[in-house]
Parts: sequence; structure tokens; C-alpha cells
Amino acid sequence: MDVLGIIFSALFANNFILAQFKGICPFLGVSQKPGSALGMGLAVTAVMVITCAVTYPIYTFVLVPLGIKYLYIIVFILVIASLVQMLEMILKKFTPGLYSSLGIYLPLVTTNCAILGVAQLVTAEVAATSAHFAKTLVVFGKAVKISMAMSFGEAVLSGLFYGLGFTLAIILLAGLRQKVDRLNVAKPMRGFPMTMITACFMAMAFYIFSLIG
Amino acid sequence: MNLLLFAEIGRDIEWVTLGIALAIMVGIGLLMALCIILISRFCQVKEDPRIKEVEQRLAGANCGACGHPGCSGFAKALVEGTATLDSCGQTNKEAQIEISNILGIAYDGNAEPTIAVVACSGGSQCEDKYAYQGYGTCVSQNMLAGGRKACEVGCMGSGSCVDACPYMAIECFDGYAHIDPELCRSCGLCIQTCPKRLIKRVPKSATVYVACSTECRGKDVMSKCKAGCIACGKCERTCPSGAIHLVNNVPIIDYSKCTHCGKCLEACPRHCIKHVHPVDTSEKTITKVEPEKESKAE
Repeated sequence: MDVLGIIFSALFANNFILAQFKGICPFLGVSQKPGSALGMGLAVTAVMVITCAVTYPIYTFVLVPLGIKYLYIIVFILVIASLVQMLEMILKKFTPGLYSSLGIYLPLVTTNCAILGVAQLVTAEVAATSAHFAKTLVVFGKAVKISMAMSFGEAVLSGLFYGLGFTLAIILLAGLRQKVDRLNVAKPMRGFPMTMITACFMAMAFYIFSLIG
Repeated sequence: MNLLLFAEIGRDIEWVTLGIALAIMVGIGLLMALCIILISRFCQVKEDPRIKEVEQRLAGANCGACGHPGCSGFAKALVEGTATLDSCGQTNKEAQIEISNILGIAYDGNAEPTIAVVACSGGSQCEDKYAYQGYGTCVSQNMLAGGRKACEVGCMGSGSCVDACPYMAIECFDGYAHIDPELCRSCGLCIQTCPKRLIKRVPKSATVYVACSTECRGKDVMSKCKAGCIACGKCERTCPSGAIHLVNNVPIIDYSKCTHCGKCLEACPRHCIKHVHPVDTSEKTITKVEPEKESKAE
């Protein structure tokens, strides 16, 4: 179990937002204040962990043996959405404090593409190895061979760290946005365009990580 | 596009696979539905139904002036008894009486409307620590060693509150912010924006307010600001109804005792007790000053 490799790749090299460009909507939408960005990031992390922990067994033990892999998107959406709904209700009942700070973001990320993306990523590698064939992923022009099967633990771990990578990126953008919003820039560029440019530079900076190793 | 595509697919459908897929989808759907029903049954949060009723009757502006997160937060605090109706200036009287009926509290609907005042009149009369060059708002200026003013609670006059005010009631001139009492609706957005927390609420009926909030001793104030309160205590001694008291070198006016006599205005040697409604002052000062001038000329 290559824990360090998973952590590094999930946090930096394959960062969900800045390298894979998934989950851009909450990334740009909820990054006005670092506080709400943190809430959003933690909500995404929680949902990602649940997603990995639930979709991995469903995929490997139900969908693959029955030969209905093509249904995975619909099944994942169904399962994730209802699980998040349950989590929300449980949070509301037992930890109202956490619910008021985190709960409002949970419905927003239910079936975000980042969540579906992590489910697909975790399960796709399983499919590749269970068929005894080494899958090659092309990451920025470099072919990376994934030949090791993802165990359940690895799946959950990568879900956790993809979520933390999301949190890292969104908090960084929120901090930069606060600074950029005070800058005196040309009127057509003010606001959202400057945010896009900031995000672009962040992605370029994160590109360096994909060259390591 | 070839519309025959569907027909071609239809020929190759494996009915067993379709059945399995259908069964799995329906099965998972039903399972999840069952789980949700069970959890919602066990985890039902009993919310006080009065909260919703109170919230419907509040103004619904979500201005946050009461210090609670929006009207729903205020409604919750009202029901819990941690807030009073007076802290909302936007809800009209009828609604306030209805709310008091819902909550079963005695309330006559005579809450005093408030307006905001800037508790600083230093501006250009207050010295600068350094020459500031940068983003033009108080909030950013405050990040650099607490702003350029020598006084720690001095208005920087860069107009963060002007931007925040939705009613265009605030203007910056003479180096500090002025609030137009006619336009102010006491929403409290400027109070939250001001990095120095200089903007305060006073009752709308008030005549005077203290336009300085420094807690320094008189000597320190003298060296920094020509308009600041030096805590001489003259207002406290002059006030016939005992409404003014010095607390931490700042005069605090008890508006429930104030008789609107205006003696503190004349007594203050630094003129940092000011009129809340400036229209009245101009009339009064003109009528008062002119006869003096005439008498001097004579």
C-alpha cells in the first residue's frame, strides 16, 4: 500500500480541481470567504470519503459480478445522494453546531462532478486490475502505469486526500481572491474574470507537482 | 442522424440483463428510501413551531443588524428568549405586537427607533502616523499597523462604510465619515464594516451623541488629535439630570435620563459632543451666535 504516493498524488499531482478540473463550480462559487471555503472543503471531504467507502464495495461486489458495470453512474448518484441526505439528518440531530457550519454545504456537493469523479477514479482502477491488465493513465504527457489494485483501504484513503486536496485548493483561492478583490484592475476584468485568471495561475503552479517522481 | 439506430439496438436487447439492471436499480432505490424513512423517523429534530411563525412576521430583510445571522436566527433567539424585539428596527409595529402575542411576552410596540452615528470627529484634525499609499478602503488600511491615524480609534475617512451603506446615507468629508440622520435606517451594515468599530446606534429622538471613542488620558489625546475627548469631565458635571458618566475616559450618555437640554454641547471644550440631527443645530447656533456677535460689535 503506497500510502505516501496516494497522499502526494491526491493532494498535489492529481489535485481534483487544479489538475483534473473537476468540481470547478463550488471552487469558484463558494470561495469568497476563507471561512465558507473551509466549510465547503470539509463537506466535500466528508462526502468523498463516504462515496469511496460505499461505491467501492457496490461496484466490485454487485455491479462487476452481475455484468452491469454500465449502470455505475446512475447507481452512484442514487446511493451518494441518499447517503448524504441521511448524513445531513444525522448531523442535524446529534451535532447541531457542526450542522450549522457544515450542513448547508452538504446538499450542494451531493452529486457534484468531483464526487462522481472520485467514485469513478477509485473504481476504474479496480476494473483495470481485476481484468489483469495494466492501465496507463496519461498525466500531462507522461504515461503513468497503474498496475496495482486499489484495496478498500486505499480507496477510502485516496477519497480522503482528494477531498483534502480540494479543501487546500479552495482555501488558497479564497485567500487570493480577498487580495485580488482589493486590487485596482480594469473594470471589465473586475470580479469573476480576475478569479478565473487567479485559478489559472494556481493550476499552472500545481503543474510543477505533476513533474515530480 | 440515423433514426434506425434504436431499432437496431432493440433487436439486440438481452432481456435477462435488462431485468437484472432493473431489479438492481429498483432494489437499491427501495433500500435507500427505507433507510431515509427510518433515519428521518429516528432523527427528527423537534423545532419550535413558533420560530417559523415569528420569522414570517419579521421584516425579512436579513440585514443582520440585530447581531443574529439573518431573520431566522433572530426569530430563534426571540423564541429562546435571548433577544428582545427592540433590536430589530425594520419590523413594523403591527408585526411586533403580533410576535409578542405569539411569544406571550408583554410588549407595547413602542420600541425606540435608532439611527447610527460615527463616534469620531477627528478626521483631518487628527494627526497621521504615516503616509498611506495602497488600496483605498479603511479595511485594507487597517491591516497595516491599524491604519494611518495616530489615534487608535480614529476614523480614517477612506469610506468603507460609504461603500457598505445601501441607503447612501454616509459621506466622507473633513477626513471622517458623516451619517445623514434623514437617510439612515439603522440597518447596521456600516457597524459591521467599520474596522475600528466606530459607528454606534443612538435613539432617533436623541439630541446629542459623543463623537469620540478614545480611552486615552487627556494628555495623550492632546498630542494626537485636536478634536478628541480629553476626559475633562465637564459634561458629567454640567449635566443637570446626571445622564452623562465617564467610563474609561469616554463619556457615556444614558438616553433614558437625557432631557435634551443641550448644556453638555456648550460645556464641552473640545466640541466632541455633537448634535445627532445637524439641521436643528444650524438653526440653533445661528440664533444663538448672531446676538452675541451683535453685542460684541456694539
